[in-house]
Amino acid sequence: MDMLVFAGASVAKIAVVMVTVLITVAILTLAERKVLSWMQDRMGPMEVGPYGILQPIADGIKLFFKEDIIPAGANWVLFSLAPIISLIPAFIGFAVVPYGPNIEYELYGVTIKPFIISDINIGILYVLAFASIGAYGVILGGWASNNKYSLLGGLRAAAQVISYELNVGLAIIGVLILAGSLSLVTIAEKQAGGFWHWNLIGGLQIIGFVVYVISSVAETNRLPFDLPEADSELVAGWMTEYSGMRFAFFFMAEYANMILVSCIASVLFLGGYHAPYPGTLLPGILGYFEGVAWFTVKVYFFLFLFFWIRATLPRLRYDQLMRFGWKVMLPLALANIVITAIVVYVLR
Amino acid sequence: MHALLTRLAERFPDAVLAVREEGPYKDLVAQVKPAAVPEIARFLHDDPEAAFDMLSDMLAVDYPEDEDRFEVIYLLKSLPRNHRLRLKARLPEDDPTIPTVTTVWKGANFLEREVFDLMGITFAGHPDLRRILMPEDYDEGYPLRKDFPTEGRGWRSTFPFLPRLDEPAAPMASEVPEDQHRPFLKEAEGLPKDTKAVRRQEELLLNMGPQHPATHGVLRMVLELEGERIVKATPDLGYLHRGVEKLCEGLAYQQIIPHTDRLDYVCSMTNNYAYVRAVEKLLNLAVPPRAEYIRTVVAEMQRIIGHLFWLGTQALDIGAMTVFFWTFREREVLLDIFEKLCGARLTLNYYRIGGVDSDFTPDLVQRLGAFLDTFPAHLHEYDELLLTNRIWLARTKHVAVISAEDAVNFGCTGPVLRGSGVAYDIRKAEPYGAYDKVEWEVPVGKNGDTYDRYWVRLEEMRQSAKIIRQCLAQMPEGPIIADAPQIIPPPKQKVMRDMESLIHHFIIFTQGFKPPKGETYCSSEAPKGELGFFIVSDGGPKPYRMKIRSPSFVHLGAFDHMARGYLIADIVTIFGTYDVVMGECDR
Repeated sequence: MDMLVFAGASVAKIAVVMVTVLITVAILTLAERKVLSWMQDRMGPMEVGPYGILQPIADGIKLFFKEDIIPAGANWVLFSLAPIISLIPAFIGFAVVPYGPNIEYELYGVTIKPFIISDINIGILYVLAFASIGAYGVILGGWASNNKYSLLGGLRAAAQVISYELNVGLAIIGVLILAGSLSLVTIAEKQAGGFWHWNLIGGLQIIGFVVYVISSVAETNRLPFDLPEADSELVAGWMTEYSGMRFAFFFMAEYANMILVSCIASVLFLGGYHAPYPGTLLPGILGYFEGVAWFTVKVYFFLFLFFWIRATLPRLRYDQLMRFGWKVMLPLALANIVITAIVVYVLR
Repeated sequence: MHALLTRLAERFPDAVLAVREEGPYKDLVAQVKPAAVPEIARFLHDDPEAAFDMLSDMLAVDYPEDEDRFEVIYLLKSLPRNHRLRLKARLPEDDPTIPTVTTVWKGANFLEREVFDLMGITFAGHPDLRRILMPEDYDEGYPLRKDFPTEGRGWRSTFPFLPRLDEPAAPMASEVPEDQHRPFLKEAEGLPKDTKAVRRQEELLLNMGPQHPATHGVLRMVLELEGERIVKATPDLGYLHRGVEKLCEGLAYQQIIPHTDRLDYVCSMTNNYAYVRAVEKLLNLAVPPRAEYIRTVVAEMQRIIGHLFWLGTQALDIGAMTVFFWTFREREVLLDIFEKLCGARLTLNYYRIGGVDSDFTPDLVQRLGAFLDTFPAHLHEYDELLLTNRIWLARTKHVAVISAEDAVNFGCTGPVLRGSGVAYDIRKAEPYGAYDKVEWEVPVGKNGDTYDRYWVRLEEMRQSAKIIRQCLAQMPEGPIIADAPQIIPPPKQKVMRDMESLIHHFIIFTQGFKPPKGETYCSSEAPKGELGFFIVSDGGPKPYRMKIRSPSFVHLGAFDHMARGYLIADIVTIFGTYDVVMGECDR
């Protein structure tokens, strides 16, 4: 009975989270086009529905009904597998993200946390591990297409992911030192009580924050680090030979990854579901949703940042990307660890 | 007689057959023996008084009736001395061979290949004499020869080398037939098939284009890569070759103007201008001052459009997409003005031989003024995004560097040459229009890298705005087209009412006008560089031969030189920095 209740509650939570993420992906495809358009003095999609709000649905239908092409020389097993390898890790990471206050309910004798699928104590490690697996999708997709542009894109992706994942991992160590835990819930809980308790401000994790944000832009292959895709050089990089739903899988994975790194960023540095003021304004159960709302606002702030950067910056070159990753970001991240460790040691 | 010609005749008494000054503009012409061309070219290049450091263009003219059928013409330009010379050599039909001048001017490489391709003249000693505009296995002859029909030989389905659409595709063992494997690796040629050890195995042959998002049309580039680094880049041109030069031989002079629109379709007005100026030079026709001012204003508007287009696409290639949309926003304003002016937006057709088609209206002048008022602020907007952007600097500084010496030797002109620090602008060197009546400067770069060329073009837009403003202020009243009834038809209103004018109009448009026998080369400063028209007139209503000196074509000759050693990502930067338009390049 206990197992059944636990499984039922988990499935329900997973369903809610998955649907939310998928809807957010759909919103993002439109939001990105709209935000870019406004920054570029144009209107963006306007044809499908009022102000083009039904555009994601039209895109989805189009991609769904497109012919599925596997190139003659491609390795079809890996070619079909790659989009799946890309997509699944992108979604799996959401299992450990706390969306709302850390509350517990007793349901038929089973303790349930409604705002997180699973509060495992190595949450952040789990996210990083699955993010690395996602990179295999890109590399395999590039290799299996049997196309030189795809191969170059895949190789670039491999190099880029290795360089920048390292920086992501090192950038958050400062936060982990402050929280003393790898659990995202614990990290969020430690930042309760107003914005001066957030790791970014109270924990003085400014360097870590900057390194994390830049590295996560690189990890999600977004401009100015979209070298694996690099549409003006490599046509579409590793996605050159993909069409229809396989392409849509890669596309969804990219956006899901963006959402995931935004969620992690807001939990690690901006206090997650905590409001910038102590406590909540709304009483009781509404207060929980106030937390969820704050979390959403923070995530969308990061997502907007992605679009904003894309509209502003040109693309880096491969060697510049590597130099930037290893010679600028890595030393900064290491310095952050050293300083944080010393400060924490002295103050305790 | 010009001192230079005397000097040349004295230096090479045997090789120089004749020297003369031709036409009303006293063009310097030297007729020489073909075998002596490299020697004379070397002398003209090295001699401090001649100093012909640039080979503007070269072409061949076919005279089937003459004993020596072909005439190869080298159009030389000296930047330090600012004079031009036409070097001519006659070749017989049975052995049309002439030594190459690639040893003197590196830019001759592509130009000689073009002459070989279209006229069938062999250049002895040329490093890579292949067809350039026609397909490499084209077997139907040489299109610009007079015995080649204008409509061409055969049509699509009769050419064995083109795939048939109505038959199933023949199965191929691999994408590249065995015998064509690695045709671009010159070093490997002449060796047995299995000797692969001469080259390192890591090199990757990447075919970029003709369908590629960043090649600005249908340019194909075969890259040999070592990792992401370019070992060799071979441009493959001709996908947009329409035989404009051949077509023009069958058209009356006025009918050619619309064909020039389609050359550089981004800046069609400039092409019109360059062409009508060449014809006017041939006719020795003076243009009224108001028309000169209007032409200058419109040409500068077109230059701003061309540079905006370039800036947008170059930025987009490098990944800064916002600049692209912003430049198109400003371009739109100018296109609207063009629409007011002549009814079209892209393939504009406004210049006429002897003047322009219609006068400026006050509304148009007011709109143009309003544009000029806001334009500096918009330029500032682009600067904010790019000028000091660290990533932009890293992507453009020290990329595709070409030294001033090399740039001149390759025949680069326009912003590409000025980016290398050579202040050569035809508007200053050989003033036309109203350029000598207004105040403006020629911006020059220092390092000859992509950033300098970017800076030069942005500065040129500011100068263009300045020129337009001054021209609008100074513009005199008066007619907008020359008074030459032999050449210029009466105004349309009179034609519709008046019998004599109708006859006059009819005669000019059915018979054309007949310029005097002669040749002329006239170059103009297009946004891409020196756009020249060389016209040979036999006294008839149609040009006997017309050669277009296209800056994009000449610039692509320097591509390999500029691309070697850079990364794949830089290829798109280099494409962009030339501002190539394939319509003009392939003609």
